[in-house]
Amino acid sequence: MNEPVPDMIPGRVPHRQAPWYRALAVIAAVLIALMIGVTCIDVIGRYLMNRPFGGAYELTQILLAALVFVALPLTTADGGHVEVDLALHLFPKPVQRLMGRLAGWVSALALGYFAWRLALIGLDQWHEGTRSASLMLPMAPLAFLAAASCAVSAIILLLPRKETP
Amino acid sequence: EELVMSSWLPPKHPIVVNAFKPWAEEVEKVTEGRVTVRIMGKPLGSPPAHFDMARDGVADITYGLHSFTEDDRFNRARLGQFSFLGDDAIANSKAYWAIYGGQMDAAGEHQGTHLLGLFMHGPGLLYNNKRKIGAVADLQGLKLRVPGGYGGDLVGALGATPLFMSSPEVYEKLSRGVIDGVAFTYEAITAFNLTDHLKYAMTVPGGVYNTTWFLVVNEDKWNSLSEADRTAIDAISGAAFAERVGKAWNDADAAARAEIGDRIAFDEASPEVVAALRATAGKLEQKWAEGLGEGHDGLAALAEFRKATGVAPE
Amino acid sequence: MITSLIAFAILLGMVFVRVPIAFAMAIVGGIGFALLRGWAPAGAMVGNAVFETGLNYSLSVVPLFIFMGNVLAGSGIAQGLFSAADRVFGRMRGGLAMATILSCGGFSAVCGSSLATAATMSKVAMPSMRRFGYSDSLATGAIAAGGTLGILIPPSVVLIIFGLLTEADIGKLFLAGIIPGIVGIIGYLLAVMAAVRLKPELAPEVGEVVPMTRQDAISVVAVLALFAFIMIGIYGGLFTPIEAAGMGAFAALVIAALTGGLTRAALWGAFLDSATASAMIFAIIIGAEIFSNFVTFAGLPDSLSMIVEDLGLSAWTVLLLIVLIYLVLGCFLESLSMILLTVPVFYPVIANLDFGLAVLADPDAVLIWFGIIVVVVTEISLITPPIGMNVFVLRSVLPDVALGTIFRGVYVFWVADIVRLAVIIFVPVLSLWLVS
Ligand code: NA
Ligand code: NA
Repeated sequence: MNEPVPDMIPGRVPHRQAPWYRALAVIAAVLIALMIGVTCIDVIGRYLMNRPFGGAYELTQILLAALVFVALPLTTADGGHVEVDLALHLFPKPVQRLMGRLAGWVSALALGYFAWRLALIGLDQWHEGTRSASLMLPMAPLAFLAAASCAVSAIILLLPRKETP
Repeated sequence: EELVMSSWLPPKHPIVVNAFKPWAEEVEKVTEGRVTVRIMGKPLGSPPAHFDMARDGVADITYGLHSFTEDDRFNRARLGQFSFLGDDAIANSKAYWAIYGGQMDAAGEHQGTHLLGLFMHGPGLLYNNKRKIGAVADLQGLKLRVPGGYGGDLVGALGATPLFMSSPEVYEKLSRGVIDGVAFTYEAITAFNLTDHLKYAMTVPGGVYNTTWFLVVNEDKWNSLSEADRTAIDAISGAAFAERVGKAWNDADAAARAEIGDRIAFDEASPEVVAALRATAGKLEQKWAEGLGEGHDGLAALAEFRKATGVAPE
Repeated sequence: MITSLIAFAILLGMVFVRVPIAFAMAIVGGIGFALLRGWAPAGAMVGNAVFETGLNYSLSVVPLFIFMGNVLAGSGIAQGLFSAADRVFGRMRGGLAMATILSCGGFSAVCGSSLATAATMSKVAMPSMRRFGYSDSLATGAIAAGGTLGILIPPSVVLIIFGLLTEADIGKLFLAGIIPGIVGIIGYLLAVMAAVRLKPELAPEVGEVVPMTRQDAISVVAVLALFAFIMIGIYGGLFTPIEAAGMGAFAALVIAALTGGLTRAALWGAFLDSATASAMIFAIIIGAEIFSNFVTFAGLPDSLSMIVEDLGLSAWTVLLLIVLIYLVLGCFLESLSMILLTVPVFYPVIANLDFGLAVLADPDAVLIWFGIIVVVVTEISLITPPIGMNVFVLRSVLPDVALGTIFRGVYVFWVADIVRLAVIIFVPVLSLWLVS
């Protein structure tokens, strides 16, 4: 792992102050809070008022997907994906740097491909009017969000990243 | 030619063992070994993805429920999901193949694939662990897991609280008292280990609800087979497969009933409850038929279906 | 079989030149699938895997169990737990290292992840151990090993993922993890004692003994209360193990508010860290799903089952071979990917075996027991070089300690783990006693 694991001290890594990063982080925090809230309303509702919240299952699914895809660019910018650099120290510094860039490009390719496929899924669902089974929420926007998230993450990986000594 | 079949039911599930596997072996036999079917031990995607997987060629052959997703593409398929349709999975499946596969143009709703089978399983029941349902009022406030769509509308209209979740989640929620009951078939009760967590079951002639399934093969792959092989496979699919899979469901239901024994009290719904169900079901059927648009008479198809299975209301 | 092995080799090659493991699995799996099946089907499969993993209800525990642990860590409860544990062992040589083990075990009872447990405890325990002159190797080894308990002692994200892969009862898996977890704590404590007996220079003579403070007591009570809340909630029928994550996170916030230790910055950090850790974990799950679809298509699970059948090996031989494969894979594979890639392949093999023990007569019991074995070998993989995730976590939290130093400190715990693994394999009742 080349960069510190996401630390609990906010703002320690400079990019964490960037407006886009902070905006996505706030959305992610709200989504987590909503997930907690949905479970609590469901569980407490069914015991205290005998009124379970019928859509809890689906809402949790959708909030979770939204959270994962909102957080993906954050993790990517943090360099937080699990990677191993054990073989790298065998090579001279410039080679190491080149391999790091290469690994970034390869990953960006994968994420770019994800983005494209997710966009196709979104279009498919848009045309077929796919909705969730009980709340009847349209699913296409979620697929487009996922596509955008992967695309942004791919771009982040294409940009040169700072090396820690 | 090897056709790869993605299967999401457990490998030992009765319809995998008694319908899909024998059918796959039969395919090899009737094509004299030119076409084989490999059933994979692990699915290549989630159950709801299985129609698209065949259409997109992720696997060659897939099966699944039409009600997995809520969208506009399997509207006419709901023909087989209403109440009071039939108690015999063979008769149901054959009627479904004949009517939905016939005048209701099932092929038009399964584009990108070739239909190998359309089928239904045994009648759905309403189970709970609180009380015997003698009157509509007994449903009041019961928290029931239902399959999405029709089942939810139906029990909701009768005063119960419909909840939606995946089938494996039912055990967790039922055993912890999170829900009071579930709309399931006989077979599902034993398959998901629910016998000890339920006490009462309400049967309704022709089923409280029913489920419809498809068995499809990717269209390009299908067309790549020789005409002789296609004819041979079609001959053991369709109506013949409806018979085979219907028998597998019937046997599974019978085995489940024997295993449950008297640990769950099965009672036929009272005339009052049946009448209330009929009233609500009638409205939902009407709404569905109106939504089909020109060219398809849903109510006539339903009447024909009930005639074919012998549960036509008097 | 050969195809799958080549794919594994390419995967390892990509990982060693620093391609994140999630993307390496996705790329090898996606391209492999395309070569067998065509590009359009591969594209559809990949798209599905990405989209549907995000919508997997059971995985909602990932962000929420991590958040629960983060909130408690941020409110100083981990610190209190460590100080309290220190009072227990204060007079013994190596007492702080033993306190680290005990408080790791305690924190595991309210944290679902091993990495989060190790990261939290390293911030709490490392400064004290350094101040009192503990060797870096023993100190970091104790934290890395103690942290692995996070996935064995319930709640556990890994046990839930195992349940998801095998449809085993998650409530039973949680119960099954408790006794092996306690055995693990005892084993690690003995390992510390053995280490300081063999090499007294690892730890100073005798630490000072300080009485328990109010804050320590509150922390212990808070952890016990939260653990009890989760367990009573699950087994008293108030909520399911999946819902326990949301309820536990809520309860953790309440506890943090009551004890007043959680600053706004720490709360924000808990949110952010849970979100980014979740995206990291989901990327791995997606990559593993794609890779595993390819391996399934290539026929690996089928040929493996056939080989086992053809060889006619006894159930115990098969199990020991599988454990051996895990120990070897555990060196090279990241732990979560290892579970995601292997469990679908191995559990059908295990489910069909007859172990000839009354306690294992029920196939469900076999599955639960196998789940615990898988978690223990996964714990071992977390601290086995060259790829030991817990060691990497420590390395990144403590950049001034060399990887080699940590791995040197870990080996006594590794020995303890192997002994524990043998005990859990040959005494299935340890895992099954609370379940039945
Ligand atoms: Na834990
Ligand atoms: Na390892």
